[in-house]
Amino acid sequence: MKRLSLLAAALLTATVAFAGPPAPHKDGIEGKDYKWNAQEGEKVEALQKKGRVKEGAEAYEVCGACHLPSGAGRPDGTFPQLAGQHSTVLIKQMADIRAGLRDNPTMYPFAISLTDPQELADAAAYIQSLCIPADHGKYEGKDAADQVAKGKELYEKQCLECHGKNGEGQKDKFYPVIAGQHYKYLLRQMTEIRDGKRRNANPDMVKVIKPYTNEQLVAISAYQSSLTMPGSMCKAKPAAAATPKKK
Amino acid sequence: MNRLLLVGAVLGTLVGMPAAHAADGAALYKDRTCNACHGPAGNKPLMPDYPRIAGQNAKYIEKQMQDIKSGARANGNSAAMKGVMHLVSDDDIKAIADYLSKLKP
Repeated sequence: MKRLSLLAAALLTATVAFAGPPAPHKDGIEGKDYKWNAQEGEKVEALQKKGRVKEGAEAYEVCGACHLPSGAGRPDGTFPQLAGQHSTVLIKQMADIRAGLRDNPTMYPFAISLTDPQELADAAAYIQSLCIPADHGKYEGKDAADQVAKGKELYEKQCLECHGKNGEGQKDKFYPVIAGQHYKYLLRQMTEIRDGKRRNANPDMVKVIKPYTNEQLVAISAYQSSLTMPGSMCKAKPAAAATPKKK
Repeated sequence: MNRLLLVGAVLGTLVGMPAAHAADGAALYKDRTCNACHGPAGNKPLMPDYPRIAGQNAKYIEKQMQDIKSGARANGNSAAMKGVMHLVSDDDIKAIADYLSKLKP
């Protein structure tokens, strides 16, 4: 039995050792000396730069293949909606992924294709200039109304204090907008934050979310995704017809 | 006249079918975000250690996609690709592999 578990451990190590592109690794929530959102490195530089929307459109091209040119992401939660997110949050998350503090092997090579803090600022400025898509992924079960109601109650107890009454977050504190984000993305991130897998998480939030059950996270995600993201919404359908205007 | 229309419709379906299948592969290649890493035509990978896949054997592409999806293959850069493989069904894999195998390397 011992031998078997040893073998399993060895195999697991081998898998972990060989998996993943060569992203750097920075100690996060699992480390003793982790300080959330330490004001250092290229993040600080990027935050001080003035983001240029036009240059940002170019920088964003590489992002658009997954997050879509509209910044809508995917309702299945694979890629979050970026349109409508605070630029501070966008810059922090890009910088954390580049620094190896938030693990994202799929996005990592794209994130490092941005050349410098100025480009981070530009990309964030461009994303912030996008209108918010009218549609996004929501909880689709038959009990949606119940889940949303249950989620609202939970949300208002503990999440509201930081993420705001309408899920608007706080730009200057790097708290993301969660209103109107894809349900499945919210659920995945909250689960990963609870389970210590999102290493750049805020320890205060980890403490709060630790005792939550999967069912409770489903309800909270259902509620959050039922909210409307604050900001300028894209015109519902006519927006598609208006696309040619771009050029 | 009616008969002509009917013939036209049948012909259209016959001719249209393989074309639609090929188009599917191209559309899927983009929609499932393959193009983001492997390039719009499968021959310009994002990173120097990502493979060119245009003109690769369909069977080989299919097997690698299946293995990365299932986790049977977990070496190299497959972790980067695993994150999107839940978007790709078995039928999608076949269509994408077929499409890629016919592209110019």
